[in-house]
Amino acid sequence: MSEQFTPNNPLPQEAKLPAEIASFSPAVEAEIDAHLAKYPVKRSAILPLMFIVQRERGYLDPPGVAYLADRLGVRITDIWEVATFYSMINTKPVGKYHVQICRTLSCKIMGAGKITEHCAKRLGIKPGETTEDGMFSLSEVECLGSCGTAPMMQIGFDYHENLSAEKVDEILDSCSRGEYRYSMKS
Amino acid sequence: MSTELIKVTINGKEFQVAKGARLIDVCREQGFNIPSFCYYADLALQASCRMCLVRIEKMPKLQTSCTITCTDGMVVTTESEEIEKAQRAMVEFLLANHPLDCPICDRGGECELQEMAFDWGNLEERFTERKNAQPEKYLSPIVANDPQRCILCKRCTRVCDEWMGEDAIEAGGRGANTVIGTFGGWLNCSECGNCIEVCPTGTLLDATYRHQARPWELQQTVTTCTYCSDGCQESVGSRAGEVMRVVARDRYVNGHNGEFLCIKGRFAHTFINDETRLRTPMIRYKKGGKLIPATWDEAVKFATRGLDKAAEAHGANSIAVVGSPRLTNESLYALKKFATELVGTENYTATDAFSLSPFFQNLGGQIATHRDIRHAKTIVLIGGEPEELQPFAGKQIRQAVRNGGAKLVIINSTPIRLKERATQFLHINPETEDAAVLAIFNQAHNELAARKMGVQETELIELRRTITNTEGDVVIMFGGEVSAEAQSLLAQMPYLFNKEGRRALLHPLPLYNNSVGATDMGLMYGKLGATEMLDAAGDSVHAMYVAGSFLPQHLTGREDSLGKLDFLVVQELFETETTRFADVVFPAASFAEADGTFTNSGGLVQRVRQTIPPVNQSKQDWVITAQLSKELGVDFGFQMSASAVFGEIAERIPAYAGLRYPLLKDETNPVQVKHATIEQRDLSQESEAIRARVEKMSDTATKINATPPVGHELFKIGTLTDKLPQMHLLASGNPKPPTLAVSPLYQITVDAGMKREAIGGD
Amino acid sequence: MFIGAIGCEPLQLKRVNLEHSRTIDVYKRNGGYDAIKKVLGGMSPDDVINEVKKSALRGRGGAGFPTGMKWSFVPKDSPKPKYVVCNADESEPGTFKDRYLMERDPHMLIEGMLIAAYALGARINYIYTRGEYRYLINIMDAALDEARSAGLLGEKILGTDFSCDIYTHTGAGAYICGEETALLSSLEGLRGHPRMKPPFPAVSGLYACPTVVNNVETLTAVPDIIKMGGEAYQKLGTEKSGGTKVWSVSGHVNRPGVYELPMGYVDMEKFIMEDCQGILNDKKLKAVIPGGSSVYIMPAADITGKGVRMDYEGLVAAGSMVGSGGFIVMDETVDVFESTKNLIEFYKHESCGWCTPCREGTDWLVKVFKRIARGEGRPEDAQLILDLCDNIEGKSFCPLGDAAAWPIQSAIKKFPEDFKRHLAPLTMQTETEVAAD
Repeated sequence: MSEQFTPNNPLPQEAKLPAEIASFSPAVEAEIDAHLAKYPVKRSAILPLMFIVQRERGYLDPPGVAYLADRLGVRITDIWEVATFYSMINTKPVGKYHVQICRTLSCKIMGAGKITEHCAKRLGIKPGETTEDGMFSLSEVECLGSCGTAPMMQIGFDYHENLSAEKVDEILDSCSRGEYRYSMKS
Repeated sequence: MSTELIKVTINGKEFQVAKGARLIDVCREQGFNIPSFCYYADLALQASCRMCLVRIEKMPKLQTSCTITCTDGMVVTTESEEIEKAQRAMVEFLLANHPLDCPICDRGGECELQEMAFDWGNLEERFTERKNAQPEKYLSPIVANDPQRCILCKRCTRVCDEWMGEDAIEAGGRGANTVIGTFGGWLNCSECGNCIEVCPTGTLLDATYRHQARPWELQQTVTTCTYCSDGCQESVGSRAGEVMRVVARDRYVNGHNGEFLCIKGRFAHTFINDETRLRTPMIRYKKGGKLIPATWDEAVKFATRGLDKAAEAHGANSIAVVGSPRLTNESLYALKKFATELVGTENYTATDAFSLSPFFQNLGGQIATHRDIRHAKTIVLIGGEPEELQPFAGKQIRQAVRNGGAKLVIINSTPIRLKERATQFLHINPETEDAAVLAIFNQAHNELAARKMGVQETELIELRRTITNTEGDVVIMFGGEVSAEAQSLLAQMPYLFNKEGRRALLHPLPLYNNSVGATDMGLMYGKLGATEMLDAAGDSVHAMYVAGSFLPQHLTGREDSLGKLDFLVVQELFETETTRFADVVFPAASFAEADGTFTNSGGLVQRVRQTIPPVNQSKQDWVITAQLSKELGVDFGFQMSASAVFGEIAERIPAYAGLRYPLLKDETNPVQVKHATIEQRDLSQESEAIRARVEKMSDTATKINATPPVGHELFKIGTLTDKLPQMHLLASGNPKPPTLAVSPLYQITVDAGMKREAIGGD
Repeated sequence: MFIGAIGCEPLQLKRVNLEHSRTIDVYKRNGGYDAIKKVLGGMSPDDVINEVKKSALRGRGGAGFPTGMKWSFVPKDSPKPKYVVCNADESEPGTFKDRYLMERDPHMLIEGMLIAAYALGARINYIYTRGEYRYLINIMDAALDEARSAGLLGEKILGTDFSCDIYTHTGAGAYICGEETALLSSLEGLRGHPRMKPPFPAVSGLYACPTVVNNVETLTAVPDIIKMGGEAYQKLGTEKSGGTKVWSVSGHVNRPGVYELPMGYVDMEKFIMEDCQGILNDKKLKAVIPGGSSVYIMPAADITGKGVRMDYEGLVAAGSMVGSGGFIVMDETVDVFESTKNLIEFYKHESCGWCTPCREGTDWLVKVFKRIARGEGRPEDAQLILDLCDNIEGKSFCPLGDAAAWPIQSAIKKFPEDFKRHLAPLTMQTETEVAAD
């Protein structure tokens, strides 16, 4: 036992989590307060608040998680267990434009596979990956309730429906040019 | 559960069962084997493993028997082709992604999934796809994790939440990607290891024992833990004279603690076979000289000669006899006998942090066992910090609140972690616990007490109302913060609060495994306490016979006291600050090498069993004492047998009357000693003394607002815990290593700068 | 895309095609908020529940549980607060009706919830919308603000003693949260795991208080029930399935869309071939999944010339279910093996991981389907798949396990040829053989 105590190879130590806590502008804080006011139990606001942290910080980074735990009065592990359950909560960074193509049955039989292939080819990444410049992430997602207007994709929260390869090109072009405007606040 | 009986038919046989009984329990009690993984008594229901399926008439689908409450006339089938197919299917599903390399798994041989698979027999493996593989990793210096073996029964997450109140380990991810883990992958918890204990598979493993032995090679011995006053029953696994691990798995041991243990009990056993254990008796022939190894004969002769000399020169009272509250009742009894019957000195004591003698001298009611705490309706906790100092008591409190709906009132100057579960938390000024006791004892003092405690008077009124409104048991627990007079008041409180339908029970929170035993054996009733004795060294005390060591808190400011003695005999496991001045040192046996008994804070007297032969040349403490007395010309008549010593205890000490080892054999039914109940007596003198002291307390004290971090007491390095390398990492703040694939022991050097202040004497 | 009613006067879809249909003005001008006025004007909560009972309205989320009965389970004497939660976590593949109901007529949902809240004595109510429908949350929030300004939400609504508020809540991508107890877990800020029943939400739901969880379409039916009376509403449909049902039609039809049909509409073939204007590109109909991905698949042979009645009983008789009304039409180019693989991948992704059969079973099934798709199918695979489905079905903690097993079981049974093609040598049982088992 005791010989184990002599380290073979001393390595630098990592800082303990959470090292820092995220902070937000008064406007964002007000938005968070408004969400918290809706529920008799603070923890209920966990998902709305996660979306806000994600919007402000790109993903749930450790300081963001620490902020949520602090604000909701829960433990860090509570944030972790919830964040990893929901597919829309990103615990890793994603690209500036998150292209999410529906892969479920209605879209699939209406040609979602071709749209995904097209995007993958054009962006040079596979579903689940992010381009090197951090501009695009590509995902295949499950049914988004756009079956009557299939195939479809979502960029951020925007729906793009009745897609064709040309239409996809148009949208991605505007993203690449930095001209894409989200149609709604998130 | 009500006492009303209802009729349930199981597999064609009728049974009378208590209304509200859980079907799975009923079936098992009646001998019908129902498999399960996620069901665990007294934990939240999970119903996720789907193993305990049964057929109940008039219900459309198979039902999980763990979620069914028996109703009158229920007709249940637990064995049928349909049920067997379903249960086989569940095992098949669980094994689908589970590695089938049991021979290399540390849990092999005591794995519930493995046993289930073997029990079923002829399981054909139809799963020919790739298994979802995940790398093994460390979750902490103590907990190793092999995620792909997980069957997601979530016992671990539930014990972490419900037993420990920590929520350190949780399920993350979703669906087939669900894993047990924690944010950042590194556990910063009290490292109790209960998650490891309850894990049915090899998912969570003891990193201190990993790859060191197979369970079937180990000799399992049931014994009592040597750390705190909870007296947890544990099973020590040893191989060839070496203690390999300590567990509380219900297949080996079924004590009052169930499968619960804390980090110290479960992991800090490495001191037993530590290479720094004293090897032989040693003699310091000249003051200031070195300790020289000697034979037992030489050392015993040298010791008795020294003690004789002191007695001749300064009289019997110049010899002090000091025991340790870690020793067995047998050893402590032998010491007391040595002091009073052989030496004839009035100076004897045990090196405890505080004395419970005023409490036992005034005891006006029953001591609450840990089981009583679990079923209490109201718990009043004055001072103390059970979650750090008596972890099992802390667990019982949490479960009483969570599962039993008990009200918990905490009176503490520190916002301890347990306050999360409290119904009422009186955040008092530091060192005003006595004021609280005074107010509970006599509400006439409410105003004064509230002012000094820095709380509202209404809080005290509410506290009293909580107690007086209770139907059932009120358990009053207290720590070492309360004074001797306050202990007397507390001890008499049953007379104030007992009533038809309500019992006031008491539960002291001493720090050591045998603090209560040391009091019972009479060692705490000597003329001088430990510090007074040190102060008298070289003055009225000239020689000492110490079994164990003084605590750092005793020696602080008195570092040289022992040097003033003419002669010092010490029996110890290790060289300590006390052996530094010893003229003779005897190597003593640890609890794992001793036979005997410990008496826990609930008054349960429980067996300590020899697990391994004495390490090196060590001997049990009472054997050494008996040897010294024999050399001094008195045969104690112990016949080299602990049971003989205990027999004498039973004869001489009324609380232990009638007890014998055979009666203590079964750890499942522990025996509570019968402490004498003192009649209600006038306590005006004590309460007046407290009142006068409370009057002098400051009105404007500053409160302590920070909740102490997890492990601030548990991880303190003492003589024993020092021998667990992992403990040093924890005491240094448990830094996350660069890679989780390798034990942090290999990655992190603990330097002096990282260490928290050591207190020792754990 | 078509939105409208066929075979009946539009109820649910009455306003959806109007300009500015989502504003309170248009809603009010077209009969909106009359029902709540009627309710507050003299109906007791029991009156409301009775009307709903009479209407034979059944939950439109998929399970088809009678709504009036669900409401009557809420204990009247409970001192705890009560909650009405609208389940707008529309995630069933093939279903998008709630989306359009909320997008185009949000006030109808608000009015429905108000009536439900009145009937059950709820003060605070939530609309749990799936996270992907962020734009709908924005629409709902705007509509709720309008209603609040108009005195239809908040303290003392319309000058009465009835006070009530509604808030939106967002999910974050979890199909399982469409299951009512999982939805409540999620609304409490926990992982979206289903909970044990009993206790049912009506007794111990949100924050352990009595709670009713209803689908959007269920709640939007309520104002019309109040206005026309429960009996009249029921008469629009059949005896056991009252009123109208909104179907989401997708897949290979010329006119996909949101169709409101009276319950008991006859027949499915006409619906596909005439109302939906037939199969895309003049291909032949191969199969229909009539009620969202979780129901049994129906081969064309079970539809053509069979006069399938479109209501709860009619579809059960035809070998499927109404479910959520997600009507997926597949033409002859579809390989049912592929479509089933697509669905089981969906269920694997959405299994919450709580219980063994669903978590491990869907994972295993996906692996088998993928292997077969790689061309490594074995003759015994069909039996293996069926056995795995049998081991999941009825043994899982919540209905998701069943929902994953049913489409596979029916696909193998109804389209053995499509599976045979992937499994050589051909030892598959034929449909008749399976039926004989």
